[in-house]
Amino acid sequence: MNDYDNIWLHKLKWSYLLLVVLTLMTPVIYVMYISFNANGFGANEYAFTMEWYGLIFSDALLIGALRWTLMLALVVTVIAVPMALLAAKYYKAADNKLFPVFLLLAPLFVPPDILGSALLVFFKNLNFAFIWLGDQVGISLFDSWFRLSFLTATIGLIIYTIPYSFVVILITMGRYRPEQTEAARACGANGWRAFWDIEFPQIQAGVFSACAFTIILVFNEYTRTSLLKGGFDTFTTVLISQMLNTGMSGQSYAMSALVSFIAIAIIGSIIILTMLRTESLSRIARAKADPVTS
Amino acid sequence: MTDPTPPAVEVRNLSKHYGDFVALRDVNVTIAAGEYFVLLGPSGGGKTTLLRTIGGFHKPTKGEILLNGKSVGHLPPDKRPTTMVFQAYALFPHMTVTQNVGYGLKVAGLPKAKIAEKVDYALEQVGLSQFTHRKPHELSGGQQQRVQLARAIVLDRDILLLDEPLAALDAQLRKDMCLELKHLQEKVGITFIHVTHNQEEAMTVADRIALIASGDLVECGNARDIYRAPQKAFTASFVGENNLLRGKVTEANGSSVIVDVAGSKLTVDKRGLAVTDGQEVKLSIRSECVTLDRLNGSDAAADGMSIMGAFDESVYLGLTTSHLVHLPDGTEMVSRVIADSDDSLPDAGASVRLSWKPSDIRLHVN
Repeated sequence: MNDYDNIWLHKLKWSYLLLVVLTLMTPVIYVMYISFNANGFGANEYAFTMEWYGLIFSDALLIGALRWTLMLALVVTVIAVPMALLAAKYYKAADNKLFPVFLLLAPLFVPPDILGSALLVFFKNLNFAFIWLGDQVGISLFDSWFRLSFLTATIGLIIYTIPYSFVVILITMGRYRPEQTEAARACGANGWRAFWDIEFPQIQAGVFSACAFTIILVFNEYTRTSLLKGGFDTFTTVLISQMLNTGMSGQSYAMSALVSFIAIAIIGSIIILTMLRTESLSRIARAKADPVTS
Repeated sequence: MTDPTPPAVEVRNLSKHYGDFVALRDVNVTIAAGEYFVLLGPSGGGKTTLLRTIGGFHKPTKGEILLNGKSVGHLPPDKRPTTMVFQAYALFPHMTVTQNVGYGLKVAGLPKAKIAEKVDYALEQVGLSQFTHRKPHELSGGQQQRVQLARAIVLDRDILLLDEPLAALDAQLRKDMCLELKHLQEKVGITFIHVTHNQEEAMTVADRIALIASGDLVECGNARDIYRAPQKAFTASFVGENNLLRGKVTEANGSSVIVDVAGSKLTVDKRGLAVTDGQEVKLSIRSECVTLDRLNGSDAAADGMSIMGAFDESVYLGLTTSHLVHLPDGTEMVSRVIADSDDSLPDAGASVRLSWKPSDIRLHVN
């Protein structure tokens, strides 16, 4: 706030910001609130309990779904983030940036049910083609390659998450000066060494953010996953299935709240650590910034 | 008997095209080992492209580059006997001064003790021994460039490429650093190739200067010759403050020619150039070689070494004063003198005579 700002306008801006944050967080906070209610969702009486959290690990369906989701998140992250990183590097070096950015961001603008359905049809046809090919050769090796499965869900989620990872990495890459790579090359480093020693340490915040973002996206995703997953369930598909059929169980609320707690704790820790580190670095810089001769 | 030592750099018929744009056109230049060579020219002229092509950051479209007698066209920057100092932003911000300087040695796989020893020596050379643990953002612009220098010289490569290394520094620091660069080069004895658009910087450091403009190597020679005796009209226009006069040859016999400039017949040494009567030519005279005199009606210029004009104004520049005069055809001429007084200046529009010594005027046919 500067000296000429209206104090009431300043307070109004902060109130507005608080309102936005509350709007965003209220549903999550409400789920957390219910997860501690012994009487569950919609009950007249609120009785605090930790029981639902204790029951999470006895719910085989939820634990199985969580395991599949974590596995999916891990595989998608390991594949999508390096692909997005390479794409961002190519994009930065490209002369014509419009075409690659259009191609990379296009999946973001296709509605999830349309993209999911398109992939479903594509994989089904591909599966038929591979079965036919196997029949022609007389082997059944290809029969299950593109049957709806972990593989098809992974491909669908990679297509979904790459644009987000690309954008997140590109933002941190924007601050990186390519002269530093050239300087490393001039010092004798090959392309990979220059990337690993010089560029990566400076963009790693973006890469790790892209990893966190990808994991959260995989946890959140329902439409594409439910269309492409085949025979297993993920955390979101279980929750939505419960909501639509029997209503969410107490341990489902507890699991949702736990995942939210963990996500908020991780993101919060990253922000706090970054702030503390920045403050510490500027304190060191201020301390060293005694008059020096050029 | 021929010299067995090959030149540090030999550029043969080098061209670099970006689509239709020609960044370099048939450039030929040879740089001796241990020479301080400057590539001078206006922005966008191709000097940085040439430097980066020597360093392996650009692939030539045509032509060949030999470093120490070996063709290196196929080698990436890390495999060439060169290293480079960039204009700015090229220090590794996440590393300390010591780590920056020692990076190349670490890549080369030297033992830690050896790295520490060499880094200490390099930092001592550039006067930064007391800043070893600082990060780049904790250093001034001049100190950052010195760290770049230390990082380059510590590698003991034969050729150091400097891409406008002083451009981001303020004027005073640039002057100081110019001399430091020159002394450093004399101390380490390796070949320095320095790109700049600043002629004072070039004059201060260079053993030889190559002038590059519009993708062409216009002229190459030692600093004094480039300044005092430019072969090309472009060199005369770019280096120093030269008066460029357009005229037509009226007589081209013998060792000198007579050129008609704005109605005055000027005598100029032919310098062995092929000129014919009626040919359009250019003449150059450095402004500090031009003397301005008031014209007292009768003493009209007819000696071939002077020209008449009308006085416009004087511009005080501190050390020197520039007198601006326009010729009858509108061409502006400048006479620059070391003088602090303006009390005897002619009135604006008064007739004046500009004169020079025969050796100060030069003929340019192209």
